Amino acid sequence: MKLQWRLAALKNGFREATAYRIEFLFEIVGSAFVPAATQFVLWYALFQTGGASQIAGLSYSEMLHYTFVSLLFSQVRGGDHDFELQEMIRSGQLSNSLLRPVGVVEFIYLRGVAPRLFIAAFCLALGMIFSIYLGFSPMRLLGAMFLALIGNIIHYQIGAALSTTAFLWEEAYSILMVKNMIVNLLSGELIPLNLFPSSLQWIWKSTPFYLYVYGPTQYALGRWTHSEYLLQLGIAMIWIMAASLAIHLTWRLGMKRYLSLGG
Amino acid sequence: MVIEVKNIRRSFRSPKKTEGWKGAFELLLHPKYKEHEALKGINFTLEAGSFNGLIGANGAGKTTLLKILSGLIPPSSGEARVLGYDPFKRSLPFRKQIALVMGQKAQLWWDLPALDAFDLLKAIYEIPDRQYQERLTHLSELLDVKTHLHTQIRRLSLGERMKMELIGAIIHWPRVIFLDEPTIGLDVLAAHKLREFLKIFNAKEKATVILTSHNMDDIEKLCSRVLILRSGELIFDGCPDGLTRKGEVSLRIRLLENPTRSVLASATGLPENAIQETSPNPDETKVIHFNIKQDQIVSVLQALMKQFQVIDMGIEELSLETVIQRLYEGDSTKP
Repeated sequence: MKLQWRLAALKNGFREATAYRIEFLFEIVGSAFVPAATQFVLWYALFQTGGASQIAGLSYSEMLHYTFVSLLFSQVRGGDHDFELQEMIRSGQLSNSLLRPVGVVEFIYLRGVAPRLFIAAFCLALGMIFSIYLGFSPMRLLGAMFLALIGNIIHYQIGAALSTTAFLWEEAYSILMVKNMIVNLLSGELIPLNLFPSSLQWIWKSTPFYLYVYGPTQYALGRWTHSEYLLQLGIAMIWIMAASLAIHLTWRLGMKRYLSLGG
Repeated sequence: MVIEVKNIRRSFRSPKKTEGWKGAFELLLHPKYKEHEALKGINFTLEAGSFNGLIGANGAGKTTLLKILSGLIPPSSGEARVLGYDPFKRSLPFRKQIALVMGQKAQLWWDLPALDAFDLLKAIYEIPDRQYQERLTHLSELLDVKTHLHTQIRRLSLGERMKMELIGAIIHWPRVIFLDEPTIGLDVLAAHKLREFLKIFNAKEKATVILTSHNMDDIEKLCSRVLILRSGELIFDGCPDGLTRKGEVSLRIRLLENPTRSVLASATGLPENAIQETSPNPDETKVIHFNIKQDQIVSVLQALMKQFQVIDMGIEELSLETVIQRLYEGDSTKP
């Protein structure tokens, strides 16, 4: 495995993401603000105005902790480099990358993930500081961030496989948008997944999306045991392998249909 | 031979879109497709270190051929070998030895300075530090862009950007370079500089170059061999001088009558393929071009005046541009 070009791609991606500093900062803060505000308003309405003492076994302060900690991981989950891939296929811009002696899917991922790694480090540092006040383990936070990063890989892999529908239909934007909407709900970004009725819990359990935000949050807050965490890491690895296979197959089929339009 | 092309064909299928609501629903529910043959059995070989021009009107199949040779798309049938490799397999050693520059497609990253992009390409192509520095200095000096290396690509002029694209494409010293309209949109000076650079690079590094361009200056000044495509067929393969034969002129005539080419051929004693007709306007009479030797002018004129009334005439030098323009326009005339 050649490290040189991979490191260079990370550096290059980071340089590009931070070319416009204000835009970069707004992206981080802005994307965190809406889900945080929604959740704070919702929990306030249910607990303070509505008078509930517990929802799905969680108290008001536990819900607030969930909201705060989940924000750290939902910032790591993001990234729209699967959209970049579909646009490259659609516009024919993929041709440039295809002729370079590196794997296109991995190359686009590395350039896209670079700013997320920076955000992950920032969120980790922020979480470490707050862990002192909120009383959760820094080591657990570290493990949780690792799981969130694994989630980031799975998220991109699924997007990369779905983006190949652009080879077939020339446009995969809607598919990726729908995927992101499903992820918003089933990753635990908007609400803790244990709020799902018990008869519907199987829905989020049968996707890998809960590993992006809900899983790391549960572990960081001490609601998952270490053995549960290790089991979930194992499940994440299986998802990575399955998604790699899906990428391999869909790209192989897709390349036979690629027209390299626009030139 | 660096490039071998054997009976390459390529067709494309695209949805047939008709206008209006009916067309929109038809496309949604029951799409119909049309087949278009972009290349129709192309054959040629290219030698190492040669500079070759690939020309043709829009839609003639030039870019399709370049895409096949660079491995972006496969041919529908036939075989292509570049540096001994099957291009569509896009093996790592193959990709390390070729470069494709498309004038209409940016390869570098808009928001970054060119130097950042070159750094990444250095890592991708595993170019040793010293060699990279030497090449970068050499190329940026030759193309006169040294002072712009730290400027964001999007802030550069079109000419400067194209030069950066070229540096990015060849910084790994490819053995085969495909250039698809590299001077498109460039001003005279920038195009001249780019041509000079390509000439020097080809002569010094012995890289095999295939260049497509609508600018005949590019072809005349750079290419030792020209391949002309018309509607997917290779209609000429030879040196540019072969198109503009020495001592030949074009006798331009407008007649009051409207004789066919065969009538003109029998009247002048010239072969039919030496006579070409163009109609500047539907209302005007045809302009007839006789491609003849200088010493034939008087006899051809006398023969025409015996049978027809000449209303306008002139003698033109046969430039490469004129010849190629006629080739594009002509349906059956081959050089």
